[in-house]
Amino acid sequence: MTLHIVSKSPFSTQALSDCLESFADGDALLLIEDGVYALQHKALQDLQNTEIFCLAADSEARGLLPSAISCSVEAIDDARWVHLCTEHNPIVSWFR
Amino acid sequence: MKFSLAVYAAPHSSQSAASALRFARALLAEGHEIYRIFFYCDGVQNANSIAAPPQDETDLTGQWQALQREHSLDLVVCIAAAQRRGVLNQREAERLEKPSANLAEGFELAGLGQLTDAVANSERLVTFGGTQ
Repeated sequence: MTLHIVSKSPFSTQALSDCLESFADGDALLLIEDGVYALQHKALQDLQNTEIFCLAADSEARGLLPSAISCSVEAIDDARWVHLCTEHNPIVSWFR
Repeated sequence: MKFSLAVYAAPHSSQSAASALRFARALLAEGHEIYRIFFYCDGVQNANSIAAPPQDETDLTGQWQALQREHSLDLVVCIAAAQRRGVLNQREAERLEKPSANLAEGFELAGLGQLTDAVANSERLVTFGGTQ
């Protein structure tokens, strides 16, 4: 199953919407860098039964706490990021 | 597990090059192997030894070099992308009759074939991209 990594804000790019268009059952979503602004975007609320993660360092740096916004998003550290990449294949990055 | 990274972002253009470095460190800390890190498009700027960021900003080139020395990483820079953006080793500078070379020590220039080789020989490829 694919790990999708979104690194741009859904408020300024198509990265998240392009990603979600190619999303398949069982895929996981990881938000990093400005991609964590998706925590404030409605597109995420429409994703049911999907594993959604955000990089804790990047969300905290932007004042976004996933637990306060949605209990379905898990904030992870770098070691967990690495582990997610071992669990999924391929890993697709969305940055436009 | 054997990983390769593709870095498309310049140090100063977005957070992505710094994320790539961070991910590379995390991979090594978790005991994984890095087969190759391939710098492509604006990512070739990570290998520009004459970029001089202010002292209170991160010197990504220096940090890549330190990681390369410590772990003998294969840091490969796309030669065509590098020529376009003015990142040259001594040989290319002479061949193209340019006044100086600036490829940082620890990086090598090579063709795009090295990216396909990395994909073929790694279990995972993680891409760090882009402008903005």
